[in-house]
This record gives sequence, structure tokens and C-alpha cells, in this order.
Amino acid sequence: MRRKRGEVAMADGEVKIGIISCSGEEIPEGTISRLATRRVLELMRPGNTVTICLPLFLAGNEAEQEFARKHPTITVDGCDKLCAKKGTEKHSGPVSAALVVSEILNGDCACCARSAKDRSEKDKEAVWLVSEEIAKAVDTILAENNGCRTPGDGDSTECACSKPIPGIEVQIDGKSVTIAGLGIIFDHLAENGLVADDSSGDKLLETVRIYHQIEPEEETAYKSALISAYKTHRRQ
Amino acid sequence: MPCSGIGKVHGLIAREATYAVTDELAPVNAETLCLALLVSGDEEALAKIQQSDCITIDGCPKLCAAKNVEMAGGRVVRSIRVVDAFKNHRGAQPGTATTLADDGWTIVREIAGDIAGCVCGGSEVK
Repeated sequence: MRRKRGEVAMADGEVKIGIISCSGEEIPEGTISRLATRRVLELMRPGNTVTICLPLFLAGNEAEQEFARKHPTITVDGCDKLCAKKGTEKHSGPVSAALVVSEILNGDCACCARSAKDRSEKDKEAVWLVSEEIAKAVDTILAENNGCRTPGDGDSTECACSKPIPGIEVQIDGKSVTIAGLGIIFDHLAENGLVADDSSGDKLLETVRIYHQIEPEEETAYKSALISAYKTHRRQ
Repeated sequence: MPCSGIGKVHGLIAREATYAVTDELAPVNAETLCLALLVSGDEEALAKIQQSDCITIDGCPKLCAAKNVEMAGGRVVRSIRVVDAFKNHRGAQPGTATTLADDGWTIVREIAGDIAGCVCGGSEVK
């Protein structure tokens, strides 16, 4: 059944928020918008978010062009040309929030790269920052649509959609640290053929630090803890 | 012009193959442009695309890059589909929408080499 404009898509009573990234190929901010969007979809708010490739609005059919009419939509643009926002509003419907990577990073992305080959710590931090902003926008829109509350609003009863995804606890230099989404990260790496032995340390560290802050002096401890946790996870 | 696909590894392969050509293999003869800029109707982008021969790389059969370049008045001299490249790599583990595994980078290099040969050789064979 075709929905009227403003009517939102619900699955099991929950609103699904659409996130549309500009993914601009010409600038590093486009790559950051793409990766930050994926991070929110896969790790931060996996049950509450969906996406669609932006160019599908033009090349796609009517069903695809209905995306922003069905879902409260957040656009994530790399630069102030706002291609995702303009494209979405032109071909699909009004957006609920419009984020701009260059504004979030305050222009501090001169060292960032377009290609994954050249990705550095700076890129990972940028993706982290932008994804946090997207997740905040998701929570705000969910609160508006579901009547649920965002974290830290003073009510001890938190809505499930605002809670962080489950993590796994590891021991780092004698301290317990919970890494959100570590189980999902492990499953993903296992699907890509990462063997659970001592050779997996570098790959585990490289992947986990995209989503979890690891200081250079903590690398050895994290590597050892991650190998151990990965082995345990794979045995379960 | 890659497709800007965000849902699958194929979009990332298209994107990385583009960078391999524009940044490494044929930086003088090739450049890329944000596909979203064309979608939004930016005049400068439209003018640029209309003055250039375009090679599109699409992740999936929906061919968003090829269709949008054509709709923008660009001349698509070659339309590449990443899914076709997989036919020579049965059982490959290319990675995910955000990270390429070794098989993914192998496919990237194959597509990029193919495009670079076309760009540098002046070929327009589809």
C-alpha cells in the first residue's frame, strides 16, 4: 500500500531512520561521509537505520524515490554543496536532519584520504566524530517519532534504541574495558577469513581501532587482549 | 565515474578502482567527479561531464553511474560492471562495504588496469 507523505516506515512498531550519504568521490569528506554512515548502520544503530545509494533517486524507480517519504531521513554531505540534501529533497522528500562533514570537522580534514589505501589515524578519528553526530541525530529523530527519550535526559528508563550495542569486556593492563560491538566486529572478520590465532593481532587491532579509541602506548596490550577474546569468541 | 554505492562491497571496489586510475595509473589523463554533484544538478559539474569522455564503473546492475552520466548529457564511452569482474573470481572473498580484503584489491587492480589501458591508449571500445 502506498504511504502518504509524512507517514513513516515502521518495523515491529519502531521507526527506521534513513541515512543518505553523499559519498562524494572527489573529496576525502565524501569518503568520510560514506564510512561514518556505514559505521552507524553496522555498529552504532543497526536496528534503527537503513540507507540507499544517493544516485538511485535519479536512476531508480518510483519505489526507490519514495525513500525519504517512507523514512525520516538524515543526509550526510561532505561539503557545503549539500548534494545529498538537495538530491534527496528534489527527488524523494524533505529531510529530517542535514549534517555536513566539513562543518562537523571544522575544516580539519586536510590530511584525510579518499582511498582506503591511504587511510590514517586522522581518517579514523574523523569517521568516529562524524558517526557520533549521525548517531545523535538518529536518537533525536527516534525520540521525536517514538516518544522515547534520548540518553542523559534525566529519566532513568532509557529507550532501547538509545542504548549502545552490546560489547565484550577485555582486560587492558589490568583494567576492564568494554568494547562496543566487538562481537559484531569479530563475526565480520571471521566471515572474511581471519583465522583465530596469534597472527590475527594486527588485523584485529587495525579493525577495532576504527570503532574504539586505542592510544599508541596501549597497542601491545590491546593486541594481546583482542587475540585472546577473538579465540574465545570463535570457540563459542 | 564510480557509482557511489554504499550498500555492498561492489560500490567500494568501483570507488577504489577509480582512485587507482586517477591517482596512480593515469593521473594526467583521468579525473573523477562526485556523482552526487551531477545528481544535484550542479552546473559546473554538468558542463565538465558534457565536455569529457566518461568511463563509468557500476557496482550493481542498476547502473546508477552510467544512467546518471547519460542523463547529465555525458558521453559514456565505456560502462564497466563490477559484478562482471567477479565472473573470473568465483568464490572470491572481496571484503565488505567498508573494507577490502586481498581478493577485493585484486579485482580493483584488474578493473583499474583495464580502464587505464583504455584511457592511455585512447580506446573507446565498449
